[in-house]
Amino acid sequence: MIEVRDVTKRFGTTVALDSISFRLNEGEVLGFLGPNGAGKSTAMKIITTFLAPDSGSVKVAEIDVLEQPLAVRGKIGYMPENVPLYLEMSVQEYLTFVGRARGLAGARLDERLAWCVEACGLRTEYKKAIQELSKGYRQRTGLAQALIHDPDILILDEPTSGLDPLQIMEIRDLIKSLAGHKTIIFSTHILQEVSPVTDRVVVINEGQIIADGEIRDLARRAMGSNRLYASLRHDSAEVETALRELKETSEVIRLSGGDASRARFEIRGDFGHDLGQAVFNLARERNWELLELHESSFSLEETFIALTHQSQPGRKEVA
Amino acid sequence: MPNVWTIFRREFAAYFNSPIAYIFIIVFLVLNCGLFMTPFFLQGTADMRGFFNNLPLFLIFFIPAVTMRLWADDKKIGTFELLMTLPMRSSEVMLGKYLAAMAFYIISLLGTLTIPIMINLLGNPDNGAIFGGYLGAILLGALYMSVGIFTSGLLRDQISAFILGMLACFALFLLGIPAVAATIDGWFDGLGAFLQNYLGLMGHYESLQRGVLDLGDLAYFLSLTVVFLALNTLWLEGRKY
Repeated sequence: MIEVRDVTKRFGTTVALDSISFRLNEGEVLGFLGPNGAGKSTAMKIITTFLAPDSGSVKVAEIDVLEQPLAVRGKIGYMPENVPLYLEMSVQEYLTFVGRARGLAGARLDERLAWCVEACGLRTEYKKAIQELSKGYRQRTGLAQALIHDPDILILDEPTSGLDPLQIMEIRDLIKSLAGHKTIIFSTHILQEVSPVTDRVVVINEGQIIADGEIRDLARRAMGSNRLYASLRHDSAEVETALRELKETSEVIRLSGGDASRARFEIRGDFGHDLGQAVFNLARERNWELLELHESSFSLEETFIALTHQSQPGRKEVA
Repeated sequence: MPNVWTIFRREFAAYFNSPIAYIFIIVFLVLNCGLFMTPFFLQGTADMRGFFNNLPLFLIFFIPAVTMRLWADDKKIGTFELLMTLPMRSSEVMLGKYLAAMAFYIISLLGTLTIPIMINLLGNPDNGAIFGGYLGAILLGALYMSVGIFTSGLLRDQISAFILGMLACFALFLLGIPAVAATIDGWFDGLGAFLQNYLGLMGHYESLQRGVLDLGDLAYFLSLTVVFLALNTLWLEGRKY
């Protein structure tokens, strides 16, 4: 549905995007992750034909963005980071304007207006001037604007920025409800926002894609090992030695807290080994009391930090 | 064309959604009619020459004030990105905005029609010259307007767009003044006269004002207007790179 191939974009001497490539199939939802200034917005502006790439190609629904930009724009609903609202217009006037500009008219326009107002929860604010609306409602109006023509593809640049936690949840639920019917790219620098909505992420840093895949796989690749927490009731030094001797473990860290007869350990081992089983077997063989055993998946934050450290440093950050 | 109409409607409503439109129209009418009426009864002639003579200088301030917001405002509040990702050509968006500004100007101009009505009641004016004068006023406005929308596109700030537009219109005005042309001729022989003919507007404007409909004058205004509108569109497309 969306195919980005070797896209490079420079602003003056700074490289905003350095030969990025990724693809997105129909109906997929992609979380576009990266620190501020990583190049997320630039990539979105290129996909939506607002900017042209210096080199490389972008195809949206098999249409090249440089050859037929108008056809591409017709298929995309776009919500820029700086939500484009005419403050003096009412929500109704504004959505009607965007609807008309996107080629809707008559009964079809009314139908879409009704749908957007319902889906985005704008009914109570429908007749109000946009300048009277709170940040949350402005954001929803921006989202309604992107949905008005029922596009196959949604490009949302930081759709939840500046919202309070409750509003974030509402927008997130809205995106989730659209997933499946539409192909969606949404960007964010807040990591917790991604996992409730989608598994597929592209991580971009300093204009380069440093990871592309499912969050879980990324964690594996980024951290290189599995992680387990265990605590056993026995002499701690003996337990530690025994744990180290297991062939499955690569690293055993004794955690603070506990005492000489009851220590807590962080155990790491390569993926592919069943670390939990190994520790359990050890405890059973030696008749040690196993108090805690749980596998801890890496958080998005840890993964992200590991990934950004892996990518080569030394290049300028770009807005 | 439906796209131009969609943009036109929004832009035109935007003028009247704020008090600015009404203030503009009132100032336009008070200044123009006031400046015209002050010497009117002293001179005792039933024509509108004084009115049309004031326009080229007066519009240098008025028109850029109307056009300054056209792009600068959109860029500032972020709607520029919305407009440039709508499934329509940049030229259509531009034309919708331009025509809305023109419609606003023509409405202001219609307000001055009280003058020809009054003159016709008081005496026997040359209505051909008055008609020519209004045509000249519209063409002059169209040209200034295209300069104004072009400069608005170059900048993100309305005030800067206003000042730059004013300077550009003033340059077109100055080039058409014989004294300025003669001075430039003094530096580079022939250049002043050349610029006066092809860029300066006073000569073309004055012949319209006399009621002479010359194809060359029409061509001057229309072609220069189209040039600035085309430059505006080119610049819009150029933003991508």
